[in-house]
Amino acid sequence: MHRNTLKDILGLNRRNQEYIRPYNSLSAKAIADNKIVTKRILKKEGIKTPDVYKLIRSKKQLKYLDWESLPKSFVIKPNKGTGGNGIIVFYGKKKGQNAWIRPNGKIMSKRDIILHIENILEGRYSMGSRKDTAIIEERVKTDPFLKQYSYKGVPDIRIICFNGVPIMAMTRLPTKRSNGTANLHTGAICTGIDISTGITTYSMHMQPTSLISDTYEMIDKTVDLEENKSLSGIQIPNWNNLLTIALKCQKASKLGYIGVDIAIDRDKGPVVFEVNARPGLGIQVANQAGLRWRLEKVKGLEVKSIKHGIRIGKNLFGGEIEESIESISGRKVVNITEKVYVYHKPKILNKKKKTKIKIEKELTKSFIDTGVLTTRISTRLSSRTGYTDINKYFKQLETPKSFPTFKDAQEYIDAKGKKITNHPDIVRLAKIVEDGQIVIRPVINIRIKISGDKKALNAVITNDIPYPLVIGRSELTGYLIDTSSIFK
Amino acid sequence: MEYSPFTTWILGNGVPSQTLELFITIALLATLVSIGRYIFGNKTYGIYAPIILAIAYSYTGLKYGLAITTVVIFSTLLSYSVLRRIRMHYITRIAINYCILILSLTLFLMVIDKYGLTLENMAYIPSLAMISIAALGDFFTKQYVKKSLKTSFLTLFSTIAISALGWFIITRDVISTNLVNNLWIIPVFILINILIGQFKGLRFKDLLRFQSILEEKDNA
Repeated sequence: MHRNTLKDILGLNRRNQEYIRPYNSLSAKAIADNKIVTKRILKKEGIKTPDVYKLIRSKKQLKYLDWESLPKSFVIKPNKGTGGNGIIVFYGKKKGQNAWIRPNGKIMSKRDIILHIENILEGRYSMGSRKDTAIIEERVKTDPFLKQYSYKGVPDIRIICFNGVPIMAMTRLPTKRSNGTANLHTGAICTGIDISTGITTYSMHMQPTSLISDTYEMIDKTVDLEENKSLSGIQIPNWNNLLTIALKCQKASKLGYIGVDIAIDRDKGPVVFEVNARPGLGIQVANQAGLRWRLEKVKGLEVKSIKHGIRIGKNLFGGEIEESIESISGRKVVNITEKVYVYHKPKILNKKKKTKIKIEKELTKSFIDTGVLTTRISTRLSSRTGYTDINKYFKQLETPKSFPTFKDAQEYIDAKGKKITNHPDIVRLAKIVEDGQIVIRPVINIRIKISGDKKALNAVITNDIPYPLVIGRSELTGYLIDTSSIFK
Repeated sequence: MEYSPFTTWILGNGVPSQTLELFITIALLATLVSIGRYIFGNKTYGIYAPIILAIAYSYTGLKYGLAITTVVIFSTLLSYSVLRRIRMHYITRIAINYCILILSLTLFLMVIDKYGLTLENMAYIPSLAMISIAALGDFFTKQYVKKSLKTSFLTLFSTIAISALGWFIITRDVISTNLVNNLWIIPVFILINILIGQFKGLRFKDLLRFQSILEEKDNA
């Protein structure tokens, strides 16, 4: 699990210099900035995009536009627009009038629409205010599942990919304040998505009153809806498919560092809205995680295929959902098999002065077992960690090899236990079942580090365990056990 | 004023002292804009607008300059808010905007002439400086149309802040004399810009923006 430091965060300076400039060629950027060309390229790769009804390149074409041939609902957007500017969605046509209804209920007459298209053609919304083309395209009908979390507009999913690996993802949910658009700056909600599971984690909402732009507040429910719903823990449908589409887009566009915006259409399934050669950095806020360390992890990796890329992304960057659970419940998530550090017994260099030298530690596999109360340590691991003499000492005691009942074992402990536990490293004796027989074994005090926590605990030395260390339930207070995953 | 030998040599070869002073100021202001942008994350209306505005302020004085700027922005905002309701082409709207702006400035000069409002010397302000400030209206509207009113105001404040700093530097004789007498400073500006150009660290604004990522999530 990764903790964020300042060095993990990607800023605009580094994004531009280390990722956009070297990995996104001028030609690839030109393609991404041109929605018509992007659509063509993606279509060749079998990736669905909203259907284009009309392309208007000149005022002459606009003059002869057959308005009757347009469906009731459609979208007008500038071909080279940025940041969602100039995009107008129409939900339907007003009965008996040459006017269309917008998501906020406002009516736009044919004359208004013509004027808007003329503004697009004049370059009002395009990069560098250059002359542009207006696109009239299909309106995506929101999938009913995601529709319940957004106000009127179409929620989309942004996936950032780098070097053929999905790095980070978020969903943008339109709100009343954002006027039904999925634009974060106008008030849409951004919700982080765990790359490995496709489950939503943190949700952020830009503060409208903040003087400094891009200041977010954390929220846990939708806003402005009749019944506001919890935003964390939502499973994004077809998650693996969405990751595959994002990586296909990267391959097709030849952008090394890309942001792919995907919407889920009620009828068509996932459709790509656009590919972005300069994706914003707000995704870090939505995920409460830095992009930089993730990008550095996959830099230079040899990714053999899309499936391989997804596997890498899931293995490296999955787990935000665990962090989210930790932050909500205050409990840490440990795997059923977890790697832990076991600290060796401190060695004393100068016995007269009792000067301790460094305490070594070793990484070992452990099994989390709620079926046993006290933790168990294998004889071999206990010897390695500095308790060899205990094993020798216990062997020479010639204790009975087994006891018929636990009561007998307890009686033996009551009678002889005090003498045996005279050894400075033996805390007490424990009666356990080993190889199907009731036996007595010494308990020692060891120190371990599990999931970032240092702990001192009692452990029974035994041989009858599948892992060098079995952590018992007395040490598991405050942890949630993830039974689905093994060693990462 | 005594100049260094190198500066004297330049001045003796057809470069007027005022022009040289202005040139070096432009280099300084351009560097200030790039520091503001890449170190602090301060967006301005490009690099040209703050330079022109700083020079204009040096002719008008900061008080008068800011007064004119306020009139320009409010006039632009008002006219654009009204005009956006009327169907017309973008360029014609901007042109009408300019016409209204000129009327507003004329009215403003007349009001100042009549009531003073502590701006009695307004009539002596060079008209070219006033027109340079008026150009700000165009930058403001473009940003307003493409982004939002809030973004446009934030950019405007950043631009004015950089310009005011530029005005301060230009109008301090000690600074400008020192700049003119130490022309080696221009390669230093180039070096600073090369270093800033390679700077990959977080901008001050990034730090504010991503602060929440570094915080503990106990309150989630």
